Amino acid sequence: MSFLGYRRPDGTVGTRNYVLVIPQGIIAKSICDWVRGTRTFISADNGGGRTANDREQVARVLIGLGKSPNVAAVIVHTASPGGGYPELRAERLADEIAASGKRVEVLDPAKDGGTYGAIARGTELAREMVYEASRLRRVEVGDEHLRVAVKCGYSDTTSGIAGNPAFGHFVDRVVAAGGTAFFGETTEVIGAEQTLARRAATPEVARSILEAVSRREALAKATGLDIRTINPTPANLDGGISSLEEKSLGAIHKAGTAPIQGVLRYAERPGGTGLYFVDCWMGSLSIFTGYAAAGANVVLFQIGGGGLSGRTLLEGLPSIVAPLLWCTANPKTHAMAGNSIDFYSGTVIQGKETPEEAGERLYRAVLDIASGTLARSETLRYAEPADLSLEEGRF
Amino acid sequence: MGVKRALIMHPDDNVATAIEEVYAGDEVEVPQTGKSPKIVKAIDTVPFGFKIALQDIPAGQVIRKYGEPIGTAGRPISRGGLVHVHNLEGTRARGDLERSGG
Repeated sequence: MSFLGYRRPDGTVGTRNYVLVIPQGIIAKSICDWVRGTRTFISADNGGGRTANDREQVARVLIGLGKSPNVAAVIVHTASPGGGYPELRAERLADEIAASGKRVEVLDPAKDGGTYGAIARGTELAREMVYEASRLRRVEVGDEHLRVAVKCGYSDTTSGIAGNPAFGHFVDRVVAAGGTAFFGETTEVIGAEQTLARRAATPEVARSILEAVSRREALAKATGLDIRTINPTPANLDGGISSLEEKSLGAIHKAGTAPIQGVLRYAERPGGTGLYFVDCWMGSLSIFTGYAAAGANVVLFQIGGGGLSGRTLLEGLPSIVAPLLWCTANPKTHAMAGNSIDFYSGTVIQGKETPEEAGERLYRAVLDIASGTLARSETLRYAEPADLSLEEGRF
Repeated sequence: MGVKRALIMHPDDNVATAIEEVYAGDEVEVPQTGKSPKIVKAIDTVPFGFKIALQDIPAGQVIRKYGEPIGTAGRPISRGGLVHVHNLEGTRARGDLERSGG
């Protein structure tokens, strides 16, 4: 099968065609307010006061978003509080992004007439880049160019019995076509890690999965708390999930049955195609940013809905440059937030459709959105801020 | 009272997930692959998405869903009873048990 996408110089294919302005701050935000077709993001963390590992994680996010197949051209400015660190220097970010063959320009207030001057020059550059990007046409490409990422949240038991199994067939379909899929959320693999390790492509990958889970479980135990006071979340408990193991065993269904090719860090790009496990935190303000930076060109959020009472609107989440689909198998959630839902698989619970059939239907829906149909969340200007998931503390 | 439906995810499971609101006294039908459905009489209210015990589960015994352990019974659970945090103990990442030496 195929979709209509934007071919990039490095061989990847975009489902969107943005100009990205980074890092965050008034320069980037001002340019994006002025110029349509641009993207930036707001995060509380810019790498300042962070360890080298965490700064490198921030750099991976920025470089990864720049290299995203959904980005046509990039503006990087030097006026970030973290920008003095070697990992986060604007020139370094720009060079690594430019290696993908796309146009990258650097703004430096010290040379461009101060902050106002940098905003003015950046606005002019962004207008030109957006114009140039608009001249690129979508072309029909093979579905092996899909790079999807899946997450589940607000999970209830409909997630485990219908929503995630439908996702699983969808992911299998992506991988069978030669595409790439990411899943992660290490805490929510606790209790299901042996099942995943058996699916590892190599013994090294199996070991990496088990190590990632045991690291995360040790951190959880070090709190001295019953994990159930943290995770499953109150929304999960209200939805009928009774333990972390139960949540995990339901959650891994979203990753299908394909061999796991590798374990990646947050925002790390994979070396090949197929299914990858990302060792990362589950937060929806964090994980989608990481997935987009890893190169995902569509991201999907499977929700249950136990704790979503009254939420008739589901907003954008910080996937920045990747369209985000909200999906559910919970008939109550669908009835409540139907205008925000891109895909519904409660049909599986009612016995009207098998998980396989729902997965196939989702695959077609994703190809359609990859081709340019808007995800419901894309019809809103608002998206939540990003949380870059740094782990080593601030000093 | 009426016939309600609940689903099992694996033949080894000793709990099923209600896909309708179940009330005490309801007959609950649990489809099984290649066999006639199992019928369990509910003794508790089991909300949509919550679990019902398919057999008596003594305290300490493993509770299975998806064919895998999801915890142990914190106290005896009777067939037809609601299974949730009041009677199911998670066993993973329990920092509280770690600290008390458990």
